[in-house]
Amino acid sequence: MKNKKITATSFSKSHQLYVSKLKKDKFIVIFFRIFILVAFIGLWELLTYLKVLDPFFFSSPSRIVATLGDLISAGTLFHHAWVTLYETLIGFAIATVLGYLIAVALWWNEKVRKIFEPYIIVLNSLPKIALGPVIILWVGAGTSAIVLMCVLICIVITTMSMLSAFIACDEGKILLLKSMHANKFQILWKCVLPNSMPDFISVLKINVGMAWVGSIMGEYLTSKAGLGYLIVYGGQIFKIDLVMTATFVLCILAFLMYFLVSLLERRYKK
Amino acid sequence: MENLLEFKNVNYFYQTKNDEIFALDNINFDVKEEEFVSLVGPSGCGKTTILSLAAGLLKPSSGEVILDGEKKIDTKKIGYMFQRDMLFDWRTVWKNVTLGLELQKPKDLDRKLAFAEELLKKYNLDGFKNRKPRSLSGGMRQRVALIRTLVLEPKLLLLDEPFSALDYQTRLTLCDDVAEILKNEKKTALLVTHDISEAISLSDKIIVLSSRPAKVKDEIHLNLNGETPLKKREDSSFGSYFDLIWRELTNEEQKNNSD
Repeated sequence: MKNKKITATSFSKSHQLYVSKLKKDKFIVIFFRIFILVAFIGLWELLTYLKVLDPFFFSSPSRIVATLGDLISAGTLFHHAWVTLYETLIGFAIATVLGYLIAVALWWNEKVRKIFEPYIIVLNSLPKIALGPVIILWVGAGTSAIVLMCVLICIVITTMSMLSAFIACDEGKILLLKSMHANKFQILWKCVLPNSMPDFISVLKINVGMAWVGSIMGEYLTSKAGLGYLIVYGGQIFKIDLVMTATFVLCILAFLMYFLVSLLERRYKK
Repeated sequence: MENLLEFKNVNYFYQTKNDEIFALDNINFDVKEEEFVSLVGPSGCGKTTILSLAAGLLKPSSGEVILDGEKKIDTKKIGYMFQRDMLFDWRTVWKNVTLGLELQKPKDLDRKLAFAEELLKKYNLDGFKNRKPRSLSGGMRQRVALIRTLVLEPKLLLLDEPFSALDYQTRLTLCDDVAEILKNEKKTALLVTHDISEAISLSDKIIVLSSRPAKVKDEIHLNLNGETPLKKREDSSFGSYFDLIWRELTNEEQKNNSD
């Protein structure tokens, strides 16, 4: 079988129409994406400028920019952003690695899996924030408590998703490996793990979001610095500008991290 | 020719929580070297169980399965081909073909890699070596799966309905390809199929099984003229063989329904 490559010169009229329609559709999507953002910021600025919305409660884009400038010139922005980013990355890494390894262990031994099943279900449905006071008592207030909170939030979902991905591995493929004299480790390494790569990438995507939830929640509980700290502090002294600015920076960081994971996904899919 | 595979008074029971299922009832047959043997029988009668026993993936409840003169089945002498090609999507064709070598790390690895290369070339797949299986057609994928099995140089090939997931035309072509490959490489094969004409066109011997618990109902030795399976279908005795097996199988079905 040969795949005929169509050269650019052989495009028919209808194909040209089809391509131009595709281009037009793409343009509309991008246009409205930008339009919504601009309209949202513009409307926000306008309404607060006209005092329809009280900037004291709602802040405004120009105030956010000003606060951002103040924080940068005071040199504190990067410090706070770095603290939160650091906690998030550490929590994300620990939860992903540990959760993955636990899933492998549970896949390996069916009995152990059955024994732990109800515990995992309970842990999954438990709101981890409820453990906040206990965490502080155990590991002390500070970075380790925040990282632990972050880990707790991400780890259960990592284990559960990966385990079900491992179990879903095609029995036929495993039978094939067995017929080729493969041992259990080879079955894991050659088939079960690579087969679950797409699921692993979606776990990473979920964890990117969850890790930020964990670190910000941790900072609400106990912190001396970080974006979560700025948000709580700003709320307490009624400086909504600070709250909004911290949230804005948070949005950008979370987006960047998600973007990195999707780069990874694109590379894998090639 | 020597017997490569022998089933001697083999019984097999499947254990489930509430039941013990009697699957195989005193199965006796043999497969000689370089012979092509097919198992036909009503669906669910235990054909795949027989293959799993021959592959050493299951142990008989009683009786003996002897492969190459040994009661303990050496998995390395067996090549198993399934209904679905079971190619790994994340590996290239080449990486799929050499999967078994990666697992078994044989001493003569270089020679076997060269053999793999040669097989791909011989059966017109070397242009697709670095492609992922998803860009291949169904028939090509099954050929890759067959080469993956042959690379390990098994003495006995177990074929579990390897053509049934393909469309009719691909199926006939692939049937010819496989028959040619097996003949060239001087391989012994045991095929499970529910397609009577396929069994007749490929086999030297057909074993007809009864419904569960499976017993050997008949052993038919075939002698058809024709170079390829497709040509064999034109032989004048093809029809009478078909009728014979068809009648035996439909008798089974009726017996089943009246139970």
